[in-house]
Amino acid sequence: MPRIIKAYVRYVDAVNRVLGYFVMYLTLVMMGLLLFASLTRYVFNVPFVWIIEMAQFLMAAYYILGGGYSMQLDAHVRMDVLYERWRPKTRAFMDSLTAFFLVFYLAIMLRGGFASSAYSIKYNQTNYSAWAPPMAPIKIIMTVGIALMLLQAISIFFKDVAKVTGREIA
Amino acid sequence: MSYEAIAVLMFSTFMLLLLTGQRVFGAIGFVAAAFSLALWGEGAVEMPFASTITLLNWYPMLTLPMFVYMGYMLSESGIASDLYRMFHVWTGPMRGGLAVGTVLLMVAISAMNGLSVAGMAIGATIALPELLKRGYDKIMVTGVIQAGSSLGIMIPPSVVLVLYGMIARQPVGQLWLAGVGPGLLLAALFILYILIRCHLQPHLGPPLPLEERQQITWGEKIRLLRAGILPLLIIFSMTGLFVMGVTSMVESSAVGALAATLVAWYKGRITRQVMEDTLRKSLAVSAMFMWIILAALAFGAVFDGLGAVKAIEILFLEKWGLEPWQVLVLMQLTYLLMGTFLDDTAMLIIVAPLYVPLIISLGFNPIWYGILYTITCQIAYITPPFGYNLFLMRAMAPKEVTLIDIYKSIIPFVLIMLVGLALVIVFPEIALWLPNQVYGK
Repeated sequence: MPRIIKAYVRYVDAVNRVLGYFVMYLTLVMMGLLLFASLTRYVFNVPFVWIIEMAQFLMAAYYILGGGYSMQLDAHVRMDVLYERWRPKTRAFMDSLTAFFLVFYLAIMLRGGFASSAYSIKYNQTNYSAWAPPMAPIKIIMTVGIALMLLQAISIFFKDVAKVTGREIA
Repeated sequence: MSYEAIAVLMFSTFMLLLLTGQRVFGAIGFVAAAFSLALWGEGAVEMPFASTITLLNWYPMLTLPMFVYMGYMLSESGIASDLYRMFHVWTGPMRGGLAVGTVLLMVAISAMNGLSVAGMAIGATIALPELLKRGYDKIMVTGVIQAGSSLGIMIPPSVVLVLYGMIARQPVGQLWLAGVGPGLLLAALFILYILIRCHLQPHLGPPLPLEERQQITWGEKIRLLRAGILPLLIIFSMTGLFVMGVTSMVESSAVGALAATLVAWYKGRITRQVMEDTLRKSLAVSAMFMWIILAALAFGAVFDGLGAVKAIEILFLEKWGLEPWQVLVLMQLTYLLMGTFLDDTAMLIIVAPLYVPLIISLGFNPIWYGILYTITCQIAYITPPFGYNLFLMRAMAPKEVTLIDIYKSIIPFVLIMLVGLALVIVFPEIALWLPNQVYGK
C-alpha cells in the first residue's frame, strides 16, 4: 500500500476515534438535561421548552458524529447467513466491492447536507417549535459527521483491499 | 414501469444487497438514495438527508440511547446476579425450576428496560453458565433465554412501542400499558411449557439436589428476597413516576438511566473503565439503530412518494376482495415472513406506515394492533437468519452451544409465541383491559 494511503487510514481512524471518545459522553449530558427538565417542571413548576429541544439536537449530534467511530467498532449489523461462512479474506473482498453502495449512500447524504445547510444559512431557517432555534448549526454539525463517516467508510475500504492483497494496514 | 413493479424491484435489490453481507443501513440507504434519484432526478438529492430532520424532531427517540445505556449499566450493576440467586433458591427445588426462575428474571429485567439487549447480556452471562453447570439441557436453556429476553420489547418500558407510537401516531402511555397483559401472558406460557416438558422429561431440567437445598436455611431464603428491593425501586422510579404523571415518557427513561447508575455506584461497581466501556457500547449500539432508522425513513419516503398506501388498500380490498380479518391475518403473515430475514426496526419503519392507515379504516384498534406487531417483532428477534437475539446469543454463548443448538432451541418458543399472538387476536381484552382501566374508555 502506498504511503499516502497508510497515512490517510491512520489519520482518519485517529480523528474518528478521538471524536467518538468525546461524543460518547454526550449520553450523560442528554441524561442530565432530561433530568433537569423534569426537576424544574415538577418541583419548581418552571417549564423550559428549550431543554427538551436541546436534548434532541444533542441526540442528532451524538449518533451522527459518533457514526464514524461506530463503524470502526464494527457495530453495524449485517445479514450474515452467507457472510459468516466466508473466510476473512473472502469477507474483505466482498466488503471492498460492496463498499461502493455504502459510499454512494453517504455521498448522497453529504450532498443533501451541504444543500440543506446552505439553505438554512441563507434564509435563517428556524425549527417549527416554541423555542424556534436556528437550524444551520445542527445541520452543519450533521454534515460534518456525515463527511467523517464517508472518510471512515473509505478508510475501511482501503483496509479491506490491503487485506485481500495480503498487505494489511495495522 | 408500474408502481408495483418499482416497489418489488426496490425490495429485491435490498434483499440482494443484504445477502452480500454489507451493513444493513448501507444496503437500505443505497436503495433509497438510488431509487429517489432514478425516479425524481436531481431534485430528490436532498431526500435521504431530509430523514435526519424527521428523526431530529422525533422527540421520543431520546428514549433509545437512554435505554441502551441503562441496559448496559444494569448488567454491570450486579443487580441481576442477586436476582438470579434469589430465583435460584426459590424455584430451584422444582423440576425445571431454574429455567422458570430465568423466565422470571427476564420479566424483571424487561420491566426495567425497553430493549432485549439487556436481558440477553444478563441471561447469557449469568443464567446460562449456571444452568449448564446444573445439568440443564443446553437447547432448552438457550431457547429460554432468547425467548425470555424478547419480553423486553413487550413489557413496559418498550422502545419498539415508542417507535410504533410515533409512526402510527398513537399515545405511547396507552401502548406501554397494553403491553403488560400480553407480556405476562407470554411469560406464563413459557413457564407452563417448561414445567410440562420437564415433568415429562425430567433429565432436561433436574431439580436442585437435596443436600444443596438443606444447606439453605429459611432465614437465608427470606434474606435473599431483599434482592428484589432495588429492581422494584428502579421500576417505580421509571414506570411508576411516568404513569403517575410526574415525569414525561422521555424523562422517565433518563430517570431509569440515572437509577441504574446509582445502583451500580451503590454496589461499588463503577470504575473509570466500566464507565468508559458502558458509554462506548451505548454509542455503538445507539448509532447502529439510529442509522438503520435513518436509512429506513428514506426508503419509506420513496414508498410514500409512490403512493404505496393507496396501492396496498386497493390491492387488499378491491382486487383480492378480502374481509377485514383476512387482511389482518395476511398482514401478520407478511410481518412474520419478512421478520425472519429483514431487520425488524427497518421493517417497522417501512411497513407500518403502509398498514396502520388501513387498520384504522377497517375499524381495528391501533393500540391493539401495536401489540400484535410487537409479538411478531419478538418472533422476528429469534427467527433465523436475521434476528437480534440470535446475533447476541451467538456472540455471547459459551463454546459448547453450537449454532445448530441455537437454531433448534427457538422452535418450541416460536410456536408458543404464535399461540400467544392468536390469543391476543381472539381476545383483544388481554391487551386493552389495563389501558382502558387507567385512561378510561
